[in-house]
Amino acid sequence: MKKTGSALALATVLFAAAAHAEVEFYQTVDRQKVGTEDTFRLTIVVGNAPEGATVQYPAPNDFEVLQTSQSTQMSYSLGSGNQGVIKRVQKYTLVMRANRAGKLTIPPAALATAQKTYKTDSIVMEAVKGRLQADAAPPPSGRPSLPPGFPDPFQGFFGDDDPFGGQPQVPEPDVPRSEQDLFVRATLDKETAYVGEQLNLTLHIYSRVELSSVDAVTMPKLEGFLSEDLDSPTQLAPEQRVINGVPYRSYLLRRRALFALKPGVITIGAAEADITTGMFFQGHRVHRKGNALTVTIKALPKEAAGLTVGHWRIGAEASQTTVQVGTPIQVRVALEGKGHLKSATLPKLTGPAALRIYEPTTTDKSAITRGTLGGRRVQEYVVLPQQTGSFVLPGLTLQYFNPESNRVEESKTDPITVTVTPGAGGANFAAAPSNVGTANDGPKNRLEAGGLKQLRHTANFGAASRPMWQRSWFAPAAAGPLALGLAFGAFGLIRRLGGATDPASEKKKKARAARARLAAAEKLKRSGKTQDFYGEVEKALFGFLEARLGFAAAGLTREQLDQKMSEAGVSELVRARVKSSLETCDMGRFAPGMGDVHARASALDEAAAAMEAWDSK
Amino acid sequence: MTLGLVAALLFAQSYYTPDEAQALFREGNDAFYKDPPDYAAAKAAYLKLLEHGHDGPDVLFNLGTACLANGELGPAVLYLERARRLKRADDIETNLAAARARQGDQLVGGVPTSAPFFERVADATDDDVVSALSLGSLWLTLGLALLFRRLVPGRRGWATFLLVMSIITAAVTTSLVGIDVWVQTHYVEGVVMPDTARVRDFPGDSARVAFEVHAGLKVRIMEESGKFVRIRLSNNLEGWVDREGVTPL
Repeated sequence: MKKTGSALALATVLFAAAAHAEVEFYQTVDRQKVGTEDTFRLTIVVGNAPEGATVQYPAPNDFEVLQTSQSTQMSYSLGSGNQGVIKRVQKYTLVMRANRAGKLTIPPAALATAQKTYKTDSIVMEAVKGRLQADAAPPPSGRPSLPPGFPDPFQGFFGDDDPFGGQPQVPEPDVPRSEQDLFVRATLDKETAYVGEQLNLTLHIYSRVELSSVDAVTMPKLEGFLSEDLDSPTQLAPEQRVINGVPYRSYLLRRRALFALKPGVITIGAAEADITTGMFFQGHRVHRKGNALTVTIKALPKEAAGLTVGHWRIGAEASQTTVQVGTPIQVRVALEGKGHLKSATLPKLTGPAALRIYEPTTTDKSAITRGTLGGRRVQEYVVLPQQTGSFVLPGLTLQYFNPESNRVEESKTDPITVTVTPGAGGANFAAAPSNVGTANDGPKNRLEAGGLKQLRHTANFGAASRPMWQRSWFAPAAAGPLALGLAFGAFGLIRRLGGATDPASEKKKKARAARARLAAAEKLKRSGKTQDFYGEVEKALFGFLEARLGFAAAGLTREQLDQKMSEAGVSELVRARVKSSLETCDMGRFAPGMGDVHARASALDEAAAAMEAWDSK
Repeated sequence: MTLGLVAALLFAQSYYTPDEAQALFREGNDAFYKDPPDYAAAKAAYLKLLEHGHDGPDVLFNLGTACLANGELGPAVLYLERARRLKRADDIETNLAAARARQGDQLVGGVPTSAPFFERVADATDDDVVSALSLGSLWLTLGLALLFRRLVPGRRGWATFLLVMSIITAAVTTSLVGIDVWVQTHYVEGVVMPDTARVRDFPGDSARVAFEVHAGLKVRIMEESGKFVRIRLSNNLEGWVDREGVTPL
């Protein structure tokens, strides 16, 4: 509610104990030099004012009256003659602010009585642009501040659940001149922070008028930050605050935790709100835009790059440390502390190949403690022992950057030793015949193959260096049979061509022809006519004889033939075989029973034997 | 005299006795299996053996496996393939399969062709067995042919059968040897060695890059032009790559 300097405040003096007492009337300021953004107090003191006196406040053009208040003090003292005197002092306090810089004068105040009008002295002040007054730290809400030098008797008494320390302190905001009765202000609890460190952004409405409702709140875009809601009240809850000496009702609109993603100077835009003032049908709607904020985000130290930011501790525990092979156990790894839980990363549980570790299930539970975001993350691993023995799950180490201590800290867990015993299936299950199959199918000591094959432990440096066909001797060896075959063929051809008149070769040729004829006779052995068969055998024999004796033997009588063979030196035995074979042929052509297969075969064998006997003689 | 001494000294430095070679081989194995493993030291030991002429499938297999364990996919495939060419074995196939599983290229589309028929035939046959069979059957054919001529007509039945079988065997095995020779001289394969090799449309540095191939990919080398070689992938995709990017098997 705006007050002007020219407004008239009337004070009625109820009674005066001593009418004859001298009137006391003056005004003072609490400082002589102020800034245009500062407020100061003008106190007008009226003592022993007669009944009906009224005080007129000074009406300076160069000052703005923000607030007025009034107090009365009464004192009793013994005067001369032991007569009691009651003194009554009234104080009028005006909270004021200079409208401009320069030498400014506060005009005199006036006290009008029935008899006369009293005036105070005017006061000359020096006003400079801006703010001279240091921001006085406001006392904590709800808990009175203590004088300096006195220890807090409740320090540590409440622990983390201190009911008086529930919310972070909100610094005193600047009051905009144009909207000083109703304004929106955003504040940050820190001016600088590390990447990933929590910043609290708080949005308040400050009001000196009645509020009906806040219809809409538009938060600024928080680019470059991860943000989490800390507080977002659904009902307006006023809280008394004195800003620059002026009492306001402050209403919390939003409180968010911000975590910067990158270093640099980041500007957060202004929030806006649509507010309805007044009660019931008297209200009207106003739009207010808050203030922009700037915050400096520092990069993490080099040794902390990539680490989780905050204050954390980890722990690990196993549901069992002695199990049978094939029986799963649960290993819980928990992370707990302050910071942005969603960005925190837990080290992965690893172990020997004998312990198969499945992907964990993760449970997050966020918590807000004294305006600080944090929580607990639990990762639950299922670990399946696959071999008997004693195996160690190595301890986990979490390194994190603690912005409060400005250094990298770490939290560790102890290694977990798991003893795996053979499955209990064997003997116990084997005792029950119906469960023999079950026992065999029970957990086994799993020895899994896979991966790369092992190296060879010895080397044979010279072996299998190249295929056989690449060796130098292979080609001549492969060409040898072909070359020899061609050579034999060529030799035979040459001999055939060159040896046409050679009697010896002629004999051999005729002998071959005779043998060929005998082979032809063999074809007639089963199917041909009897006469044809024996005729062929006889021709073969005469051909052979001609080849061996050198003349045609076909027209000779048996005696002549025998004589010629004898003259040629043929043995008696061979001659007998030849003659016998010829007689078989003669008989075969005419005698019955010589046409069957056995007789023909016998004749063939006889002729062949005669030829063989001749050649081997 | 001096020259002789220097030559003898150089020879002594560049030569390992069989015992020294085995010791170096074991040194590589020890480096591979120590805790923590020193794959680089193992690889260096095997490479020393190769540089001094002590090759063979065992050294190549261990070298390829050390490279694979060390994450060097290109050399791993190269040495394992070379070991496989010298002598097939299950452990080589297993580690080659592991290397192929880690290879980063997936060939899709086109006409997926396996190796040409002759190459597959050569790949499926054992060179030494086929060579020995070919040699034996050729000489047997010659012997049987001579015997055949000596036999009396009518007594040549068994000889004829053996001769025909021998001729067929000689023809088949000699053809297989011929196919092997042709494949070895005409079908050149290589392995991509660098992590990434750019394949261009044309043999020239300014030619458009058509695609990239990655370490460990086995390709067929079709022809050469300057510092480029034309490669063909198994899905018939072709292009020109810097010669240094592909090492022939």
